[in-house]
Amino acid sequence: MTSSLKKLSALAFVSAFSFSIASTPAFANGVISEHVNNLQAHIGEYTEEVQWLEEKFGGVISAYETKDNSVKTDALIEYWEEVDFHSAIETQYVPIYASIWQGIYGVKMAIDNGKPIADVRAEQAKLNQALWQALGAVKLASQYQKQGLVKAVQTTDVEPTTPPEVISDIKKRIDRVVAKYAEQLHEVATTLVHDTYLQRFEGVEGALITLDAELVEALEKDFNVTLPQAIAQDKGVDAVRSVVDAMQEKLDRARTLLVEAEKGRKDVF
Amino acid sequence: MQRRTFLQGLAAAGVLGSMPFGFANAITQASSVSVDSLPKLEGDLTLYLGRGEGGLYENVLEAIKKRNPKLNLKIRRGGSAALANTIVAETRAGVKRADLFWAVDTGSIGVVTDAGAAKPLPVDLTAQLKDGFQYSSWSPVTGRVRTLPYNTQRVSPDQIPDSIMALADTDLAIGWAPAYASFQSFVTAMRVLEGEKATENWLKGINRNAKKYAGELGVVMGVERGEVDMGFANHYYTLRLKSGKPDANVDLAYTKNDAGCLVNASGIVALSDGDLPVNFIRYLLTQEVQSYLASEAYEIPLVQNVAQPQGLASLDTLSPPDMDLRKLADLRPTLNLMRKVGVL
Repeated sequence: MTSSLKKLSALAFVSAFSFSIASTPAFANGVISEHVNNLQAHIGEYTEEVQWLEEKFGGVISAYETKDNSVKTDALIEYWEEVDFHSAIETQYVPIYASIWQGIYGVKMAIDNGKPIADVRAEQAKLNQALWQALGAVKLASQYQKQGLVKAVQTTDVEPTTPPEVISDIKKRIDRVVAKYAEQLHEVATTLVHDTYLQRFEGVEGALITLDAELVEALEKDFNVTLPQAIAQDKGVDAVRSVVDAMQEKLDRARTLLVEAEKGRKDVF
Repeated sequence: MQRRTFLQGLAAAGVLGSMPFGFANAITQASSVSVDSLPKLEGDLTLYLGRGEGGLYENVLEAIKKRNPKLNLKIRRGGSAALANTIVAETRAGVKRADLFWAVDTGSIGVVTDAGAAKPLPVDLTAQLKDGFQYSSWSPVTGRVRTLPYNTQRVSPDQIPDSIMALADTDLAIGWAPAYASFQSFVTAMRVLEGEKATENWLKGINRNAKKYAGELGVVMGVERGEVDMGFANHYYTLRLKSGKPDANVDLAYTKNDAGCLVNASGIVALSDGDLPVNFIRYLLTQEVQSYLASEAYEIPLVQNVAQPQGLASLDTLSPPDMDLRKLADLRPTLNLMRKVGVL
């Protein structure tokens, strides 16, 4: 496990896992099979897959280095979509999943644009780092799963019911916005922002505005201006992630406020 | 139906005498009842629940379940329109899965009642509702009124016409959210009341000076910031904003007897025969639930003798148009018109 991954606290991890399981909107890359609910038994396979990916990605890059004209960079995506490890990290920790896509496209664009091999190798290093970080995340998730700290991945939509649950669902959804943007699915990412606003945030902002009007105002702007513009202007994964990270902090505050408000709410009967 | 006429007819039919005491009492008073007077709920019920009220309906449902431990309530959640379509499809297929449908908008209710899926409600239940909100095949739960939030620093109330159609001829800067479901229901009401051509002209007229927002809370906040003079929005956004920011530069104006002051409602439909679904609906019409939704969600109680949310003009002083709210289900021509004019 890399040092940056170690910095993630257990609490943050459990929290992040819970975001990923609250509901399961369509995963873009194939069927999620049962292995994601039994990670511990598949760690060996995932490790082999990461090694295999490193080797395959390296093969494409080496071919580019030797001026092999038959190099097809789409193969990078095909390799990634072939492995079970893909859905393991996608269902457990979306932020690193997005980093893998970012890394794949970093290598792909460097080759497609005929960049010097040193630039391509630099992108490869970032991609490999993301892959091993992801493996570390899945191993940690498998421990929590074994201890019963994370629920099984749902295969059908589950609607969040309470305002704090809605906020958690929003946090998970905007993480997926980064992932979809990193996958170069810009329209999907924009639609996800729009749907998250109308189907989720709209439902809680009325309660939230009575608690902190300025916070609602800031999130309104994030949902309707800042994030869609970052995607539309193709500012890059880091820029989109930066907007989402800022939103996550605001949403954490929103959740805290809503939890407190629920405690003080009067009884119906 | 006018309540007086309704009650006279009811008495003549001798129906009152056949009611349980508590319910008969409710009819003669035509008032809300306390939950203490209701029978316990026992058995299995499946409720399709439209989302959009921020979790407060969930609190009501939890409270009902807690009070009725022998009630096995299963809930399917989703968008109101999507659930309405599901119910219609299930009805046509002869597969009934839901016993009740609680929707946040009347348009979705209309889809279900038009498909013949709704069961008639007893008159003692509908008699608790205010005049103009009594329907035989569904029950409104709470209401929301269309309003004109305006910036108190930029305009005075006398600058705002009390006719929604006249607004298109002013130079006021207006905020609106054409993609928002409540706005589209309001335009549907205008289309039903004023006709296609007048609505088209109105949309064009407003569009000259309009600024677009994603949602109606955004409209109210834009009004408050002074980005526009006024806007179109449901009442509760302004009340909530003023609750969180008491010195907000925004207040409410109302039009008269037109779509601009339409009162839309959340509503519930019984899809199965028997006492259990009907008695469940009675819980939603109790003094306690109506008061809770008024104070916590700023919704307008639609049963008699329950206080309105603070800051809203009394329902008695408003003059909403006389129309069957189920006509709001006829949304497609509205969307076509809005696209034709270029506001969607």
